[in-house]
Parts: sequence; C-alpha cells; structure tokens
Amino acid sequence: MDTCIQKIREIAFQLLDKKEVERVIGFSNGTIPMATSPITIASKQDTEKLVFNSTCGLNLANYIRQQKGKIAVIAKGCDSRNIVTHIIENQVKRDQIYIIGVPCKGMINKSKIKALFEDDILKFDEDGDTLTVESSSKKETLSKKEYLRDNCRLCQHKNPVIYDILAGDPVKEQVLDVPYPDVEKIAALDADARWIHFQELTKNCIRCYACRNACPLCYCPTCFVDESGPQWVGKGQDKTDVNTFHFLRAFHCAGRCTDCGACVEACPMDINVRDFTRKLNKDAFDMFGWEAGLDQTKRPPLDAYSPDDPNDFIK
Amino acid sequence: MGNLLEHMGIERDRIHFSWISSAEATKFVDVVKEISNKVRALGPNKKLVKDYN
Amino acid sequence: MNDNNIKIVSFLCNWCSYGAADLAGVSRMEYPADIRVIRIPCSGRMSPKFILSAFREGADAVWVSG
Ligand code: SF4
Ligand code: SF4
Ligand code: SF4
Repeated sequence: MDTCIQKIREIAFQLLDKKEVERVIGFSNGTIPMATSPITIASKQDTEKLVFNSTCGLNLANYIRQQKGKIAVIAKGCDSRNIVTHIIENQVKRDQIYIIGVPCKGMINKSKIKALFEDDILKFDEDGDTLTVESSSKKETLSKKEYLRDNCRLCQHKNPVIYDILAGDPVKEQVLDVPYPDVEKIAALDADARWIHFQELTKNCIRCYACRNACPLCYCPTCFVDESGPQWVGKGQDKTDVNTFHFLRAFHCAGRCTDCGACVEACPMDINVRDFTRKLNKDAFDMFGWEAGLDQTKRPPLDAYSPDDPNDFIK
Repeated sequence: MGNLLEHMGIERDRIHFSWISSAEATKFVDVVKEISNKVRALGPNKKLVKDYN
Repeated sequence: MNDNNIKIVSFLCNWCSYGAADLAGVSRMEYPADIRVIRIPCSGRMSPKFILSAFREGADAVWVSG
C-alpha cells in the first residue's frame, strides 16, 4: 500500500507540475482515524496530503461532475465503473478527466472494527493484510481479510476498467459461482418474511440522505424526495415514507449501480441499503447479462430497446 | 418494478401489466376478470400503505 | 374481508386499453367492478412513482395497460 501512495503522489505531482490537469481529486486523512475524506488538490505542494489505504471506501466518481478544466481522479475498480457510467450518461467527457487507476485490494468495514472497541479508536495502521487498531484501553491486531466490506468480498472487478495510468500492479480478480448469495438468501424467504426483513432493515433510518449524497448515480438537480408538487413521499420517519424512499432510490439506480458500497459506507445508522440495489443488479445481470460500468460503448439495458428484451410479464 | 416489490415482500399478483388494443374489448374483459380473481385470492393489501392518522 | 372492497388501480392508455374499456362498455360486456380507472395520455406517461403512490393510498393491486 505504501508504495502505491508514493506512486499516486508522484503522478499527481507530475500532472500538476506540468499543468496537464488543474486539480487532482483523491483521499486525505480525516480528523479521526479511519475517516479518510475526499480532497481536491490544486497545488503540487499539497500532493503530500494524498493518502490511499483500505479506509478509502467512498466513491470519488461522485466528485467529478460539473468541474471546469481538466481534472485527475484516483479510481478504484468500482470508482472507474462509475466514471464509465458518467461518460455513458453524458455527465463528463472522457477527455476532461485523467484517471489514476488503483488496482484495489478491498476496503474495510469500519463499523465492524469499531464494534470491537468500547471507547474511541485513536490509532489505525495497516501493513499488507495486517491492521493494527488502538484505543486508549486496548490494541488489536486484525487480519484485513476478516474485516472486508461485504461488497468488496463479492467484488469481481477490483482492477479499474478504464484508466490513463495505473498506480500499482493489477490484482487477481475473483470469479464467483454465486455472485449474489445475499439476494438469494432473501429471495428464499416467503413474502411476509421478506417484508419483515426490509422493515427491520430500514427501521432505524433517519432520512439523512447520506446514502443518496454519497452515491455517484444520484445527481438529479431535484431529487424526488424533495419534490413538493406533487409530493411523492412524506419527509418524516413514517415507515411507509421510509420504504418508499428506499424503494425509489434503489429503482433509480437500476442497471447503473456498481455495488461500490459508498451508500452503506456513508450511512450513520449502519443500514445495508445494498439489500435493495443488489436485487436490481442481479436482475440486470440475469435478464440482460448486464453489469454496470464495464463498457463505454454499450447503452444500459433500461435505456435501449431490443426486440428480444424479456417481456413475459406483460399479458 | 414488480421484481423489487416482490423482493420487498409485496405479492407478485398485486401488480399487472398488459397490452390491449382499442379493438380488443373481449381481451380487456378477460384480463380484468383474471386480475380481479388473483387479487381477491390475496385479499386486501396492508403493506406500503400510508397511515395518515 | 368483503370481496366487494377490492381496489385495483388501473392506469390505462388513452388510445389502447382505455379505448378497449370504452368498447367493452358500449358493447355492454360485464366485468368485475374492482377496477378504478385512471386514464393516462400514453403508456409512456407511466412512472414507478404512480404505482407506489397507488399502493401508499391503499390500492390492493395496480394494473398498467398499454
Ligand atoms: S467494490 Fe471492489 S473495487 Fe470497490 S472498493 Fe471494494 S474491492 Fe475495491
Ligand atoms: S447505490 Fe450504493 S453501491 Fe450502488 S453505485 Fe450508488 S453508492 Fe455505489
Ligand atoms: S444514510 Fe442511512 S439513515 Fe441516512 S437516509 Fe440513507 S439509509 Fe437512512
């Protein structure tokens, strides 16, 4: 990991030095351990601020829209797929962005680590597969494998799909026989049990919309939750409103979601909102053989008509 | 749409799509009957209903 | 439950299914009175929001027909 960040800093420095790009978007350390946050850098002196480790779970593709001039962005596998989606949806032009691809070794589930400690975490270090986490009362040495995020465990596209330069050697991709075990588990329940599952899942939702804001797909100028004439969904924590919000948010991501996990990462209540989007990802895959963000030249299935689209749901 | 609603636990037979031309009154009647029977079998829907009280 | 209280919110395209419903009426065909018809100018006007709204307001089922 260390060599990778040296490489990223070097590339960013060169790009800014030669004025090839105006800004670089990357990650920097936050104010508390494990809380890396996105940063935009315009001067080459600042490249020292850039970091990259397994706590960089947000999706930087979310920050490349509506930028002026040429920008560089650091992209994991999933970020790069969201960049492709942006290009397909005409949100950015390919030649406006310089992509620093990072073959990804997976991001960690911070909540799972925080749950090991009763007090605040004061120090976080990683070295290859070993994580060292310290609070004022204890120190834990953990294996990163055990603490990967759920989406990273199931990720089959860790290497960036488009890039201008790679900041590390490509990693080996896994091929899963059962890519959607979580969806199948829910599907095996009966209708009432599924309903209860989703009621339980969303019952703590505080409607903060962090999941929406972290998601690179959610760029509508006025989101349906903010529309008031007509008002499709109430704004409070009424359970029907919460369900409607989650249902429609997921639906708007159909055929576009890359399962990057930024939505879950951002949720302060640790709600696995991917339970909604994953179902649609699976459907897109089963019905159209589609995984979002793999190919710049293909139109997404819900945006194109083909005579052999499945239509047996119509009488 | 139906798939995600079903995944969330709303019964599949509560949502229907069809394609009927303006000359197909017979088909229209058949489809209404079919849907009506299926929904009657399920009974009233209690899920995703907003409670205004 | 009372069988007569089923509500099927039906979104019918003005040119197709709404026409068929009209024809069924003119031809005096009988069909269950469970449907509540909403005429839409074209099936393209349909939106997932309509379907959710219908359920939220207490529909027992939704039918979209082009
Ligand atoms: S989803 Fe894949 S590419 Fe994205 S952070 Fe996880 S392992 Fe990396
Ligand atoms: S819905 Fe979540 S997992 Fe999917 S692209 Fe958006 S942030 Fe990523
Ligand atoms: S981030 Fe979590 S709490 Fe906030 S709206 Fe999304 S699911 Fe609800």
